[in-house]
Amino acid sequence: MALLEEVIKETLNLKNYINGEWVASASDQTLDVINPATQRTLARVPMSTREEVAVAVKSAKEAFPEWRRTPPLARARYLFRLKELLEQNFERLSRVQTMEHGKTIDESRGETRRGVEMVEVATGIPSLMMGFNLEDIASGIDEYVIYQPLGVFGHIAPFNFPFMVPLWYSPFALATGNTFIVKPSPRDPISQVKLAELIEEAGFPPGVYNVVHGGADVASFLLEHPDIKGITFVGTSQIGKEIYRKCGETGKRAIVQGAAKNFMVVMPDAFVDATIPALMTSFFGNTGQRCLSGANLVIVGKDDTFHRNFLEKFVEAARRIKVGYGLDESIQMGPMQSLDGKRRVLEYIEKGLSEGAKLILDGRKLKIAGDYPDTCFIGPSIFTDVSPSMTIAREEIFGPVASVLRVANLDEAINLVNSSRYGNGNAIFTSNGKAAREFQYRVESGNVGINVGIVAPMAFFPFSGMKESFFGVLHGQGRDAIRFFTESKVVIQRWF
Amino acid sequence: MALNTASEVVSFARKLEEESAQFYEQLAKQDKEAEEIWLSFAIENKRNIAQIERAYYGVISDAIEGCFAFNINADEYRVNIELPKNPSDAFKRAIELEQRLTRFYQTAAEQSKSLMADVPRAFQAIAQKRENRLSALAMKEKHSRT
Repeated sequence: MALLEEVIKETLNLKNYINGEWVASASDQTLDVINPATQRTLARVPMSTREEVAVAVKSAKEAFPEWRRTPPLARARYLFRLKELLEQNFERLSRVQTMEHGKTIDESRGETRRGVEMVEVATGIPSLMMGFNLEDIASGIDEYVIYQPLGVFGHIAPFNFPFMVPLWYSPFALATGNTFIVKPSPRDPISQVKLAELIEEAGFPPGVYNVVHGGADVASFLLEHPDIKGITFVGTSQIGKEIYRKCGETGKRAIVQGAAKNFMVVMPDAFVDATIPALMTSFFGNTGQRCLSGANLVIVGKDDTFHRNFLEKFVEAARRIKVGYGLDESIQMGPMQSLDGKRRVLEYIEKGLSEGAKLILDGRKLKIAGDYPDTCFIGPSIFTDVSPSMTIAREEIFGPVASVLRVANLDEAINLVNSSRYGNGNAIFTSNGKAAREFQYRVESGNVGINVGIVAPMAFFPFSGMKESFFGVLHGQGRDAIRFFTESKVVIQRWF
Repeated sequence: MALNTASEVVSFARKLEEESAQFYEQLAKQDKEAEEIWLSFAIENKRNIAQIERAYYGVISDAIEGCFAFNINADEYRVNIELPKNPSDAFKRAIELEQRLTRFYQTAAEQSKSLMADVPRAFQAIAQKRENRLSALAMKEKHSRT
């Protein structure tokens, strides 16, 4: 298959989008945005200053009163225009993601579609934002609830879904009448620039949506700023905890999504032919760089033949995965997004070996399809003889590494899953409804898959999470997001 | 050549539809008697592309197995779009082409039926359309021989 055309031809100098204008940062500090497959520099992203964050917050704050007075139906129309522009630019946006992140074109299109769906759901704001009331709570007295926006919200974005994750929040924030500042990941910020260009084209008023580039400093400035009412964050649990603490101290609302170590539990009655591709997607899709990726494969039962046969099929399927540049349509797995990410995976592989696990598929020995530098590439790796106490079974690797564990029965499997400090997206593969229900009922996991390897909730459901995978109360997406971005104002009235 | 990803399969389907549309357009010029049929096929081929792409772009997401849903040998389904030297062979050649495309869509639908949401339904619908074409072509061919 031919390579799809690259859509970023020249090195871009990225600017902040503040108060409806594209503004070059005063900072002389920049980072290069590198295509992880080709190692070509795609853009230079500025590390913005505290003053630039302050200007963005000020403009968002000033835009808020007028925006909140804009009727919900009119706000929805801005989103309809944005949705139309997203559809028109669907392929271009997808290719940008592949170029700056490394994921395959199928994965990028999937990411774009998910992002568009968030906008679609948020267009229902006139219904979603309705309050409720009760007449005669006492004779002649009525009570009702109004959902009102709060002001300026900030988002600190991760690198693994550079287009979609900010859209878990921003359409809902804007639809409810808030204003928004996004700090894209400096590793792959171009998708957010392209999105902001479309937001501008859709005609959103100046200051309603802003983009400020930068690293940890910019995140800290957002966290510390008194005029920011809430923060949404997706990243590591370690940083997430710190952000949650800071939000508590400064009275900000917070949705903080952290790390994961997801278990894919395979029962002996699983439908093997459909389970294997689902597991390939789960463990190796997005090169394992997602909080919903499978990490531990748990094969259940005492049947040695089933265990051996299933493992053989799993390994064989992983061995056949074609690794290369995601703009080649035949590629099934792209590179790691960065060299740091690859190094981290290599360290975990070494750790697994030193702790006694057996590496039956070694991703360090890989053949890249096409003539690309191997800088960020690594193939699928599979460990067996893994015990639950090993580092590779406990810690998030965030790469294409599967650890295979074996337990005797469902009860043991559930206990094993629940022994993790994370609880993000765990799944069971079975044809037995009772086993599935038992798993769903007992497992400590915000998102639960039943014969689904990537438990990514749709835009109209909350993106959940438990234990150290999530800090907060309300989640992103759907009704939870509407509640997060609004205050419930209660009115009790009587007329004399 | 094996097709494994959804993107590849959709592109391959587009290529098959475009090539066969081109074949029918050429055939329409050569076979004025059946011009209307051949042109209607060419037009429908373009609608088929839209139908597949709408299904694919509408449901593709990270929760379904976009990169792992298929294992199709493309070489089995490549079509011969050279015009028949003898115009009387037009129906025969069209039948061969449609049989091949029907098999492609049936295979694609079968392989992805539990993995790709609306996409296999689109493939199945087009396979059905082609089966209908085959019935019509068989009748025409029979008629042309008598």
